[in-house]
Amino acid sequence: MSNIVEAKSLRKNYGNFTALDGVDLTVPRGAISGLIGPNGAGKTTTLKALIGLCDVDGELSVAGRDPRIARHKLMEDVCFVADVGILPKWLKVSQVIDYVEAVHPRFDRKKAEKFLSTTDIPKNKRIKDLSKGMVTQLHLSLVMAIEVQLLVLDEPTLGLDIIYRKEFYDRLLNDFYDGNRTIIISTHQVEEIEALLSHLVFINKGKIVLDSLMSDLPDTYAEVIVDVDKVAQADALQPIYIRDLLGKKSYTFESVPREQLEVLGELHTPSVADLFVAKLKEEKNG
Amino acid sequence: MDKFAVLQFYGLLKREVLEHKNLFIGAPTVVALLILVATTWVATQIDQNQLAEGLRYVSILFDGLSPFDMAPFFMLVAIPFYLTLYVCSVIYLINTLYQDRKEMSILFWQSMPVSNFQTVLSKIVAIVLVAPIFYVLIIFAMYLIAMVWLTILGISNDVDLVGIGWMFLAAIASLVLIYISAFVTSLWLLPSIGWLLLFSAFAKKTPLLWAGGVFILVGFLEDFVFGTQYLANWVASRTSDPNQYLIFEFQSVFERIFNYDTLFGIVVGSILIAGAVFMRRFTD
Amino acid sequence: MKDLILRNRYTLLIVTLVVYMSVLVAEGMVTGREVRAIEFENPYFDMNFNELEKFRERRSNDDDDDIRARFDDAGDV
Repeated sequence: MSNIVEAKSLRKNYGNFTALDGVDLTVPRGAISGLIGPNGAGKTTTLKALIGLCDVDGELSVAGRDPRIARHKLMEDVCFVADVGILPKWLKVSQVIDYVEAVHPRFDRKKAEKFLSTTDIPKNKRIKDLSKGMVTQLHLSLVMAIEVQLLVLDEPTLGLDIIYRKEFYDRLLNDFYDGNRTIIISTHQVEEIEALLSHLVFINKGKIVLDSLMSDLPDTYAEVIVDVDKVAQADALQPIYIRDLLGKKSYTFESVPREQLEVLGELHTPSVADLFVAKLKEEKNG
Repeated sequence: MDKFAVLQFYGLLKREVLEHKNLFIGAPTVVALLILVATTWVATQIDQNQLAEGLRYVSILFDGLSPFDMAPFFMLVAIPFYLTLYVCSVIYLINTLYQDRKEMSILFWQSMPVSNFQTVLSKIVAIVLVAPIFYVLIIFAMYLIAMVWLTILGISNDVDLVGIGWMFLAAIASLVLIYISAFVTSLWLLPSIGWLLLFSAFAKKTPLLWAGGVFILVGFLEDFVFGTQYLANWVASRTSDPNQYLIFEFQSVFERIFNYDTLFGIVVGSILIAGAVFMRRFTD
Repeated sequence: MKDLILRNRYTLLIVTLVVYMSVLVAEGMVTGREVRAIEFENPYFDMNFNELEKFRERRSNDDDDDIRARFDDAGDV
């Protein structure tokens, strides 16, 4: 099977609040997929649903299993790192390694200790005495030492300083990703992960508003800095987003042939952050 | 059985002991120290000749008798430990499926390939079979200290040490009895264990209040709907008699387990435990 | 049906308690259980510690004169 994640019309309500409103999502094997959305968009709910930590309605298959029925079996193939420190605070570093070694059949202790030796994390300290950056490093070291097919990261670098963040993604790419494994990252700090993504998914208000290969973006989306005299012409092409830019206007278009846009002005592919704002504004305006 | 499964379960039990060191090891250690201090104090208040006389009497009492026959005497010494284990078990059971949800570490535990059934089972085994091991070891250490003390007292007062040796053997035999007692009591109280676990897994806040409140509510509802008080009677009959909790004779172990009431308790307790296992899917 | 029970913590709790109570009430009706406190025999709780010697006599083997002798000796000390 080429898709490691296949989800169809996932729904989830918390009381009156609709967290997921028919999410369709497919992630092919070997992808590095970024799940981008504002706070409360349903990122965490989607990711938790993928690993069976939250019940949802709809069709769902991850690594060939239904996470709602076979969570513990699925977890042999999937790892999860969350934004908040979810490592138990009362455990010592060495004890958490012991625990994972005992319960996870695919954990390689030597590998984990090798990763840890490159950090400043003291093994005899309790997790509650580590800094947030160290806890994330520790969790990543554990996860990278597990031979899994899919790694799910929920805002992994939230609240970390720039050095930890950079190191985190470097390690992920160099030491974990091998072309066969799949990574799904959720974040709202788009700029940082833009370069490493192969797939891009936008989610807003429990709905997927964009699902695309990164390499397809230039063919579909274009940003044009429009000269003042051509504004009317640009408006006619139904831009999805317009913003003011130092006296000029920047127009974002979806699926408009390049030839029609080139005459308007300077043409380039929007950054993920700009595209994100564009798609969200489009939603809002209907 | 699969070797990895055994190691995995051992890992789960180790986790419980590490997380609840205070309940498994700390509490009985404090009780043992208190007993030692209290005994020493009492001993200093008594006339030394009387003390030696008493020791001589006891030494003769135990001399040559089967340690297993004499073990019941030491069950009385174990009562404070028994009560401690009882209180610690309640604290443990009501918190064990609640604490990790509260501190979010459940997302970590649940991201490991361990099923909800294994998790709940490991918690029951930890408190029913593992905790009493620590209690027994600590009581043993306490007896060892007392033994050294009595031996010194015996030598200095010319008391027959063989009798003290027999007494020590009886004390050790009582440890086996204490352990079996704790286990049989757990089977007897399995419905309570299930009830506490169910609400530990259910409540978003104050699990003990939920467990107690719903118990009273269900009792009233039963009275209201059926006009019966089976729940109240049943619980009363299971908690009122202290004889239910202590076993003084090895011969009675079999009948204590294989009687209708204990086995029926295991059946209905299992319903509640199954509920707790399914409840574990709610991670928030 | 299974989904309905498992997807909500409250329905799951209620179903568990209903099953539990049904079994309990049914058993109570079948066995006619009223206040049925189970009596366990425990001779040690009724034991008077002033009568330790009698206890010892009961426990020790009557043929074991050696121990008896030592016990008697001790009484004279």
